[in-house]
Amino acid sequence: MSDTALAQRDIALVDLVDRLIGGGVVIAGDITLSVADIDLVYVNLRALITSVGTLEESRRR
Amino acid sequence: MIELLAFTDDAPAPEPPLRALGDGRVRAVCRPAADAQHTPDALWRHEELLERLMEDRGLLPVRYGTVVPDEEAVLRALDERRDELAAGLERVRGAVELALRVQEHDAGAGFTERAASAGAARRLHEALAPLAREAVVQPSRELLRAAYLVDRDAVGAFAARVRELDAAHPELALVCTGPWAPFSFAEAR
Repeated sequence: MSDTALAQRDIALVDLVDRLIGGGVVIAGDITLSVADIDLVYVNLRALITSVGTLEESRRR
Repeated sequence: MIELLAFTDDAPAPEPPLRALGDGRVRAVCRPAADAQHTPDALWRHEELLERLMEDRGLLPVRYGTVVPDEEAVLRALDERRDELAAGLERVRGAVELALRVQEHDAGAGFTERAASAGAARRLHEALAPLAREAVVQPSRELLRAAYLVDRDAVGAFAARVRELDAAHPELALVCTGPWAPFSFAEAR
């Protein structure tokens, strides 16, 4: 995989994590797994995206 | 313990270890909960699984990491929200989610430039929203973070419009990703 493709996958991962932990149907009153380690990935990636230029259809494909 | 992945409409039974619980127009897709390693690969596999299910059924993704004690809890969640979930499935069926983030290329831009860029980002959203069934602007420190619920067969046209807008705004960095399962449109607003 080229450096660019790797970067694109990382950028798309930010959007994926946004969705997984911030979206979806929320079932009230039930147990949710700890997502502390996901939060950590998330913070690291936030730092990354500020250095990235234009990208479209950036999915891992 | 059972991990709840999505609500779907009536459709062929998913492949084990996935199971669809409930009957009638709304079903809950779940699997035995495992000690999950939340690595990027695991997150991608989760999304890919949802996308495979979406190929032949309407699907509302459930918040990642939702685990309930037993089947009864799954069925209770279904019963309590059956009408709302059926309406949600109706809303998203045949569509996918696209994500857009907009930032300034020049991080050191002054107040005036930043205000102009913020206006331009807002107009980008206004240009794209009519191409979507639904659109939502999400809180962010970026100039724009938005999600669009787009008909599957309109994704190409949406991407083409994003490319045009990108070319017209060299001062902005547009990042458009997807298609995703409709996470941002799963809860009624």
